[in-house]
Amino acid sequence: MSSGQGPVIGIDLGTTNSVVAAVIDGVPRVIPSRSGQLLTPSVVAVAKNGKRLVGQIAKRQAITNAENTVYAAKRLIGRRWGSREVEDARKALPFQLVPGPESNDVRVQMGERVFTVPELSGLVLAELRADAEAFFGCPVERAVVTVPAYFNDGQRQATKDAGRIAGLEVMRIINEPTSAALAYGFGRTIEKKVVVFDLGGGTFDVSILDIGKSVYDVVGVGGDTYLGGEDFDRKVMDWLTFAFAQENGGVDLRADVMALQRIKDAAEKAKCELSAAPVANIHLPFLLGGGEGRPALHLERQLPREQLEELTHELVARCIAVTERTLRDAGVRPAQVGEVILVGGMTRMPLVQRAVKEHFGREPSRGVHPDEVVALGAAIQAHALAHPHQGATEVLLLDVTPQHLGIMLVGGYFQTIIPRNTTVPTSATHIFTTSLDGQTSVRIAVMQGASEKANENELLGEFVLAGIRPAPRGQVEIEVIFEISADGIVGVSARDLSTGQRQSITVTATSGLTEDELKRIMDENLDELLEKKQSSGELERRREATERLVAEIEALVPAVTTSLARSRFGKDAVVKAEAVVQRARAALQARDVAQLAALDEQLERTLQLFRGLSGGVAGQEGR
Amino acid sequence: MSAAELVERGRRAFNEGRREEARRCWGEALALDPGNEQVRAYLLNLAAVPAPSATLPRPGAPVPLPGPAQGEAEPRRPRSERAEASAPVPLPAPERDWLRSPVTLPPTGSPLHAEGSLAAAPSAPSSDPFAPPPPERDTLSDYAPSPWGQGPTEPPPVVLAEGGGLDLSSVDEQSGIRPLVPQGGPARGPSGVPGGPNEIEVWMQGARELFALGDFSGSLELIERILKLQPGHAEAREYLQQNESTLIAMYESKLGPPGAIPRLAIQPEEVMWLNLDHRAGFLLAQIDGTVNYEDLFALSGLPRLDTARILAALLQQGVIS
Repeated sequence: MSSGQGPVIGIDLGTTNSVVAAVIDGVPRVIPSRSGQLLTPSVVAVAKNGKRLVGQIAKRQAITNAENTVYAAKRLIGRRWGSREVEDARKALPFQLVPGPESNDVRVQMGERVFTVPELSGLVLAELRADAEAFFGCPVERAVVTVPAYFNDGQRQATKDAGRIAGLEVMRIINEPTSAALAYGFGRTIEKKVVVFDLGGGTFDVSILDIGKSVYDVVGVGGDTYLGGEDFDRKVMDWLTFAFAQENGGVDLRADVMALQRIKDAAEKAKCELSAAPVANIHLPFLLGGGEGRPALHLERQLPREQLEELTHELVARCIAVTERTLRDAGVRPAQVGEVILVGGMTRMPLVQRAVKEHFGREPSRGVHPDEVVALGAAIQAHALAHPHQGATEVLLLDVTPQHLGIMLVGGYFQTIIPRNTTVPTSATHIFTTSLDGQTSVRIAVMQGASEKANENELLGEFVLAGIRPAPRGQVEIEVIFEISADGIVGVSARDLSTGQRQSITVTATSGLTEDELKRIMDENLDELLEKKQSSGELERRREATERLVAEIEALVPAVTTSLARSRFGKDAVVKAEAVVQRARAALQARDVAQLAALDEQLERTLQLFRGLSGGVAGQEGR
Repeated sequence: MSAAELVERGRRAFNEGRREEARRCWGEALALDPGNEQVRAYLLNLAAVPAPSATLPRPGAPVPLPGPAQGEAEPRRPRSERAEASAPVPLPAPERDWLRSPVTLPPTGSPLHAEGSLAAAPSAPSSDPFAPPPPERDTLSDYAPSPWGQGPTEPPPVVLAEGGGLDLSSVDEQSGIRPLVPQGGPARGPSGVPGGPNEIEVWMQGARELFALGDFSGSLELIERILKLQPGHAEAREYLQQNESTLIAMYESKLGPPGAIPRLAIQPEEVMWLNLDHRAGFLLAQIDGTVNYEDLFALSGLPRLDTARILAALLQQGVIS
């Protein structure tokens, strides 16, 4: 923290929960939220009363206000409208998705307003930033943010944009498994293959890293973006609602959003409890109205761990199947794996741990905290970037291309130039020829993806190489060069080898937001920030005025009481004045500017009245 | 002071002829316990009975409690004594009955108002506040026009100083609202029938009266009935807003600062033995020592008034602190 540029933080921007951490006195630590929580739900909502909610509060009304609560925005960030992922999300998510006006990105309708996805993620990041600022007591402006290893350039850029919206300079985007391994390897030398088994709230990711001499090389990634802790919760919820229906004549709790919200919260809590205890007790008094004047219905149930395991063993089996496939793709046998790092709260579940142990034939690592490890790694990287000359050891991070990079060929096929899992920075060259006689120009469409069909992959950018020497097809050689910098910027150039005619493109990943839009959103946020600062000034002004009025009123109370000792009205006035003063004190304590403003006139009138009455006393005494 | 204590204090004040104090006590009791029909009935009847000077022949003379109370405990005084003390005041049915048939209140000047006639009117509401409610009337022709049409009998709230003085109305202090309708003003006919005692006008008049008496919940109930039939009723909409904002201010003033964090004041296993509905159960489940009142309003998903009412009730019952 001594760089003079303020603290730097590492952020694990998760699908379900997010965590912020920093290196403090040489030790990476998670920063608690202002309410003392270590995890902040990645949930944003506009409450029915119009208030914007972020984090825990937003999560707690996610079911009762489903259409105006956005969760799992990470599944949508940087995605294009019409993509398979967005179509899947539209089926699964209760809030309304709409296409962007021009850039064909996906946006979210909440109430009257349409939010861009980076904006929503930006709100979560801003919350974490505010927590960090409250923790450090000074502004925090720089961060390292983690993303899944399979995120493409657009998604990474969108995450950077989210950081900008939150007022953060994103020093680097790093892969989550890399970050986890970084935290795992902090302060020790590791040279082995490590599997990061990350079962979070909404997604499952498995990554294989080859770590050697401080080089963290991601050699394989896989996962399921619709498999996580929420699926486990849903199994428990179904079990509870079925049991409730059996006991209460077929009453379906799912028809009542309040009941469903409580069931969801209780299911999650019970699931977490069962990681440490053999049985979880679920008490939900007054869960559902009894109807027709009858008393409300309660739910009381015990969930044994065995029952939970029976309900969810199929989900765990899916995780293992994905892991098996990923290892196979990377050409790694379980026996070659030197360590398995468990990440994500769900990996605390004994069934998951047993399954991992059985699959790899070894105990998974217990040296790192599954909820915190990714954020801690990001904090370590942020610290290393911020303090390169202060004794901090810069850790060399070698990330890989998450997907194949290539160009579209005649017939709509996709030609890979740089295969996935290639360590960056890298470059590759490929020679192509023309497909038509006398062809004088060629279109180079740069794509990213895993499909042989070009239209199933993502178009990163395109350009036209014109001025090609006219010749029969196949006789003109065009050299295409792909270069990827350490920052993940893709440069593609094409050159007619006979004429030397050259054209190139730098693929700047786009989040779907135009620069103008981004500026507008940032300006709005700035306005909000200024409003907050102004309201802070307003609060101070109000506080001073209120404290002065209260002091003057209280000073006059003895005189007024004397003056009106024989008057019923007088006594009443003092009582009422006391009530006003009490409310003013409460408003001061609550820092409620609106209430202080509302009370200002009443305090002023009370003071005037008291001055008049106490003047009467003085007059009488003077006679 | 609890609602029950306020009710009792109001009864004592009423019996001793201090109607203003009685009204204030019952008003406060109703604010604490909006579902208390007994208090509503008292307040309703307080509006219907003649002015204090007419009902109090001499200072300190016993005056009957207004309105019956369902399910209340046995009175402390013997029945004979009560009969002696009873004054010939009209005694309304509990409010819910009155709401069903607004004309069940006997009119001023009817035989029921004649001194000593109470015992001779078997079908009339009993002066015994603990007696069962009177039978409901079915037809409008049974009675003369509603006494609500005569306007309130009470003077306006006390204001210590004109123009810039301290406004003593606690409601004003809490919500900043101003009196809506000049008390005693003529009833307006929303239906367009001049002076026609139609149902909506009777409800509207009742809503005005209850608002003036500080029974904002009762007023709100009537307003909601009117708006169900006539959603565009301008005056009703105005009253709706005023009632709601006043009630919200009242309940919120009981809760304390919006940033305050409520906590469960009883053992979690004791919650099961409370008498709550599922909405209160939901709100109670959210109170875990980390969420403040303002956040509870946001996450409840209920209208602010309902949330404030439930929280104030939980606070009043000592369930939360």
